[in-house]
Amino acid sequence: MDLEREGGRGANQLRPIDCSRNVLSRAHGSASCSHGETRVLAAVYGPKAGTKKNENPEKACIEVIWKPKSGQIGKPEKEFEMILKRTLQNICLLNVHPNTTTSIIVQVVHDDACAALIDAGIPLKYLAESGKILLDPNKLEEQKTKAFVCLAFPSSVHSVLTEGSINGIITSLTHGVMAVDDYFQCVEQGRAAITPLSNILKKKLQSQSAE
Amino acid sequence: MESKPSTTPSSFIDQQVFPGDVVLDLSKMANQTIKLGGGLRQDGDVISVMKAGKLRFSKPNKYWVESSNKRYVPSAGDNVLGIVVDAKADNFLVDIKGPTLAFLPVLAFEGGTRRNIPKFEMGTLLYVRVVKANTGMNPELSCMDASGKAAEYGPLKEGFMFESSTGLSRTLLSSPTCPVLETLGKKLAFEIAVGLNGRVWVNAASPSIVVLVANTIMKTESLSPVQQKIKVESLMQRMR
Repeated sequence: MDLEREGGRGANQLRPIDCSRNVLSRAHGSASCSHGETRVLAAVYGPKAGTKKNENPEKACIEVIWKPKSGQIGKPEKEFEMILKRTLQNICLLNVHPNTTTSIIVQVVHDDACAALIDAGIPLKYLAESGKILLDPNKLEEQKTKAFVCLAFPSSVHSVLTEGSINGIITSLTHGVMAVDDYFQCVEQGRAAITPLSNILKKKLQSQSAE
Repeated sequence: MESKPSTTPSSFIDQQVFPGDVVLDLSKMANQTIKLGGGLRQDGDVISVMKAGKLRFSKPNKYWVESSNKRYVPSAGDNVLGIVVDAKADNFLVDIKGPTLAFLPVLAFEGGTRRNIPKFEMGTLLYVRVVKANTGMNPELSCMDASGKAAEYGPLKEGFMFESSTGLSRTLLSSPTCPVLETLGKKLAFEIAVGLNGRVWVNAASPSIVVLVANTIMKTESLSPVQQKIKVESLMQRMR
């Protein structure tokens, strides 16, 4: 049973990706990223002096604010904030600037699918629909499925080491019911798709900062 | 992007690198001492990149990553432009666009004693030197050079200060003189102070010259040297 997807995508193809840096002039760092129709704008301010009350002063503190496209800030937004914060904490080196706070503000410009982890690492989403696995779904496909998995992997790196590839997962978020084998298959497919995805991103970032 | 990694570090020098890229494998290099500058860190047996930027190498053994940001990472020996935020009993608190405020001791001026402490108001612009910058501590500044002379450090009066990226500051301070400043200097008379933290101060006899110089510098940031010259000439034509 071959699944047909909108726009004629195969089971393993990604939506078109675009990203640009330094879009906001007042923020200390900013990026705008889009996967197909989902667009997200992220701004970073920091590091600034001082940590929040309960945070460890030996490390830098990361604060994430998630702003949905419309509506009030509620529990789903807080959940995304927490997920992003945990993901970023694992990627960033927190000992370089102890006792500082870096604020990251993510504004959803156009919400097609769950844009939860778009700026961190290289996130991907999988669906498991009665046995088939699809890469990078959009909202309609998401609603039809039994379960979906959102995974964030570290991006592929260039290395002078000849062996040793990155083989860890930073974050995994699942919804719904799926078999264990399906989950592992999702992970494998995700890992395979990381290389082209991160190459595209690096190319875009490089061409912008080439000056 | 280039095809896959050879084991020589020279393949990455002067290339754009991203965080996580491994650039040196220490186990392959026999007894050498390597100096690591900003943006690189040692992770067991390999050197990996912390900040995105261009990897640079200078003989005999220094590696560092050059990147251009809006925020500054304080390091000892840099000349920066700071803004006074507060005055305490022993030092002034100065903002230098880094992760923390910096301290400028009240006695760090030529001939400074407890009796002639300078009075800086909040918002005063100062040209200072970074003396110490360790992680976790507030950086320490001084208005004297290493031998104790005043040497141009101190408050900057009048003029106009604008902020840009650290990369632009480095370009303006490079030697031989960067083409923008050279071309501007041939026709116009102005004073300029460049801080490595991304702040630039310009002063001239008339406001129109100040505005022209500031706008020219800001607009030509991303152009190549030849383009810069052309752009500067055309902007100056418009003035005349």
